[in-house]
Amino acid sequence: MKHTKHLQSRRAFLRQAGQLSMAGVAAPWAVNLAAMAEAAAQTSSTGADDYKALVCVFLYGANDHTNTLPPYDATTHAEYLRVRGSIATARDALAATALLPRAALPGGRQMALAPELLPLKGLFDAGQLGVLLNVGTLIQPTTKAQYTAASVPLPPKLFSHNDQQSVWQSSLPEGSTSGWGGRIGDLFMAGNGSATFTCVNVSGNAVYMSGREAVQYQVSTSGSVALRGIQSNLFGSAACSAALRSLVTAPHTHLMRAEHTRVMSRAIDANTSLSAALAAAPALNTVFDTTSSLAAQLRMVARMISVRQALGVRRQIFFVSLGGFDLHDFLVAQHPGLLTQVGSALKSFYDATVELGVASQVTSFTASDFGRTFSSNGDGSDHGWGSHHFLMGGAVAGGRFHGRLPALSVNGADDVGQGRLLPTTAVDQLAATLARWMGVSDSNLALVAPNIGNYTVRDLGLFNA
Amino acid sequence: MRHHAGFVKAHSACAMSNTFDPPLPGTLVPGTASAAAALLTACGGGGGGDGSGADAPAATPPGSTTPTGAEASRLLGQAGFGATDAQIERVKALGASGWLDEQFAAPRTQSHYDWMLAKGYATDTNINGFAGTDNTLWRKLLSSPDVLRQRMTLALSEIFVVSMTGLPVAWRGFIAAAYVDVLEASAFGTYRQLLQAVTLSPGMGVYLNMRGNRRADPATGRVPDENYAREVLQLFSLGLLELNTDGSVKRDASGNAMETYSQDTITGLARVFTGWDYDGASRQETSYTQRPMVASGTTHETGEKRFLGATVAAGTPPAAGLQQALDTIAAHPNVGPFIGRQLIQRLVSSNPSAAYVGRVAAAFDNNGSGVRGDLKAVLRAVLLDVEARRAPAAGDTTRGMLREPVVRFIQWARTFGVTSPTEVWNVGNLSDPATRLGQSPLRSPSVFNFFRPGYVPPNSALGTQGITAPEFQITNESTVVGWANYAQTFVASGAGELRPNYSAELALAADAAALVKRVALLLAADALPGATLDTITQAVASIAASTDAGRNNRVYAAVHLVLCAPDYLVQV
Repeated sequence: MKHTKHLQSRRAFLRQAGQLSMAGVAAPWAVNLAAMAEAAAQTSSTGADDYKALVCVFLYGANDHTNTLPPYDATTHAEYLRVRGSIATARDALAATALLPRAALPGGRQMALAPELLPLKGLFDAGQLGVLLNVGTLIQPTTKAQYTAASVPLPPKLFSHNDQQSVWQSSLPEGSTSGWGGRIGDLFMAGNGSATFTCVNVSGNAVYMSGREAVQYQVSTSGSVALRGIQSNLFGSAACSAALRSLVTAPHTHLMRAEHTRVMSRAIDANTSLSAALAAAPALNTVFDTTSSLAAQLRMVARMISVRQALGVRRQIFFVSLGGFDLHDFLVAQHPGLLTQVGSALKSFYDATVELGVASQVTSFTASDFGRTFSSNGDGSDHGWGSHHFLMGGAVAGGRFHGRLPALSVNGADDVGQGRLLPTTAVDQLAATLARWMGVSDSNLALVAPNIGNYTVRDLGLFNA
Repeated sequence: MRHHAGFVKAHSACAMSNTFDPPLPGTLVPGTASAAAALLTACGGGGGGDGSGADAPAATPPGSTTPTGAEASRLLGQAGFGATDAQIERVKALGASGWLDEQFAAPRTQSHYDWMLAKGYATDTNINGFAGTDNTLWRKLLSSPDVLRQRMTLALSEIFVVSMTGLPVAWRGFIAAAYVDVLEASAFGTYRQLLQAVTLSPGMGVYLNMRGNRRADPATGRVPDENYAREVLQLFSLGLLELNTDGSVKRDASGNAMETYSQDTITGLARVFTGWDYDGASRQETSYTQRPMVASGTTHETGEKRFLGATVAAGTPPAAGLQQALDTIAAHPNVGPFIGRQLIQRLVSSNPSAAYVGRVAAAFDNNGSGVRGDLKAVLRAVLLDVEARRAPAAGDTTRGMLREPVVRFIQWARTFGVTSPTEVWNVGNLSDPATRLGQSPLRSPSVFNFFRPGYVPPNSALGTQGITAPEFQITNESTVVGWANYAQTFVASGAGELRPNYSAELALAADAAALVKRVALLLAADALPGATLDTITQAVASIAASTDAGRNNRVYAAVHLVLCAPDYLVQV
């Protein structure tokens, strides 16, 4: 394992150096030294304090951001009610979750959390939850005129779920093989005692979690799954157990068989250390509603964080998800239940990071395929583009709205039709900001967020100074 | 209302064709010259042009010679759910082509809808649940004798996806069951029939929201729901990019890929899909769940609609507009390679050569008798192609496919004659990735299926070479171990109430080599290399065969170790 880790680190280093020099950097050696800085900073640092984790909470299907953060001031709410009609939330239902940000929104605008997100209201008020307005996939800053004239490159395959999930996670459409979570992981694998636990996925495979070198490790909501047939005699036979281990881990020349073997070998190796670490860890006291899939996943993330020292990890990327957000119909019937899960799970997870003493070292953020139309189709909303998202953690500059507040209108200044928001903040800017918080140096941000060079603002100021 | 009678009439005709699957002009009739002609059309020229250069043109049409046991088992693994002694003998007797003819002609067994009704699931307590749905889906997948139709139905359910996770309506269990009946009824018809049956099914209507879709209201800014319009193009017919007939991406003069449609196309097509709803919804009885949706003039957009170069004139009745839209979609040259490649991926290979896709697309475009979209001809082209029938070779590094977990499970159950003592097939939902299959029929997380046809495993040799391997999208540390653990349980103890019959294997239990050879033939089409067979045989032989328990354990070990071996998991 140790040998493999070092090999991977060295390959990551060489790959980094190669990409930087291909990018036309003038002084490759200086840059190479800088590229090593992240790992070096980690390894020279001492003790438990040097730990940070990033948790992506992906809302599959495209969350309806308008009903997640409805307008609350009387004027804008009236327009919201007029346009959305039966799928709008009544203003009096929002009284308890109306937000009082530390810096007022422009134009007298006010926003509220959906009533089901009540558990998050206290976090916003206390400054541990912030909102990033109108963020979405872009290649470069884009005005509505440029969009209309198609005069600048646009993200490929807009409004297509699977492709925009992929663009959000990786900057490329479906078929992409590395995402920005994984690319952050590439830079920190070397400083982790076990490279395997750098990118940990408690949901299903997601390109966000694969680096150029970093491999996502999938763990179930109840921990790593032990291969039963090798833990004790298989059908009463030690020879059968040995044969099973040999069969499922032996090398193959057929690439699919080899890949299956690779995943199985990693599962067996990782289970050895992870199951021991989890078994030895004190139980979490924070209560999660584990009837919710999202809460069960986040609980597992908290348990993984609780054994960070046993696993020897200092930087981790986590991925959890909840599906069912593609509510063209049934928005009023189904969206509140989904948001209830989101609110409850996020609150429990924040509380767990407090319990573990790492609240300021763990940042969670929501993401989704894209936003949805402001206009209604009668029972729901359609595929959009920009969306509002949450950032949560002790280090987050919370109690605030970040980014630019878009006009709430149909075919207005900030949308490209039916209230599909043209993003004013790019996912690359978000990725770069989060990467920098994790400790990625400015010169390496382009390795994580390939389009960041197109933006003058590389740090969105989402964290406390 | 004057228009309304017309719509109903049009729908009745459609419902009949869905239900009774009548012969079509040009439908292949077993044993006739047209079948042979179609076969030659589908496979004509053998593998010429295959990028790998591995396929030599076939001297005789594949499928016309007497298969060996291993060859028969391979076909049964691709076209059905694995082999039994009887099926191997049947393929040997008829040849591959003749066996396909027999399967095309096999009668349908009791429909999902009828079975659920007969078993008494249409009670008030089930109106908002799926009681009986998993049961009937497993029933037919595990026991219906028309294996090719069942395999094709499963494949179609992973292309024309409806999921139980997205049917929050009354009688959802019946709607799901009736949807699979629609796929099954259309499995050997034409693509155009299938497309219409899917489009008007209550299942798809609810899942992708065409049901209840209303025309725009300029006063509020309400617009038609675009979901079905978008997904029918992206997933069920064209895909996002224009394709050559061999499935490769078509490029313009500047080398750029060309998108098949724009947001304007979606907006135009969404207007066609307005005004449709259940035919006689009821909370008291379920029959409407199996009737195609019907249109209402009051909520249908009556203005002109433009999409894909077609124009539906203002005032066209909803049913006529729909026919025009589906005709336009089904005639698009992308459909053959787009759907053909996916069917190859579901049955035979994750990475078909461009030539193979081209041959299947040609069969789609013309079945030999001038019929477009004849799914029997497409299946013949997929299954009888030299690339499907060529024997595996030791040097193969990318051919074949990872068997999906559901198919592995069905294969085990059918191979060993699993029965349901209660006759209600209580298998349940097997979606849990850590303890079951990580997959269960009609329980995909979204319309994008359990895995995508273009999935490439990141950070792998497959990724480096750009090899698509869809099933690896649900392959991870939890699911690979989950499969081995679940298999250990069901091999020895059955799945739920289901019990296997290992009598033929037990008869060989004293001879470990013979036992393992038999299991390898049935499950893996004899494709396990000698070293793998030796490993398993020696392990099995370590168990004493002198007692019943020992003989049982020998069988369990042989079956389980084969089911866990990568040589089995990847079907070549």
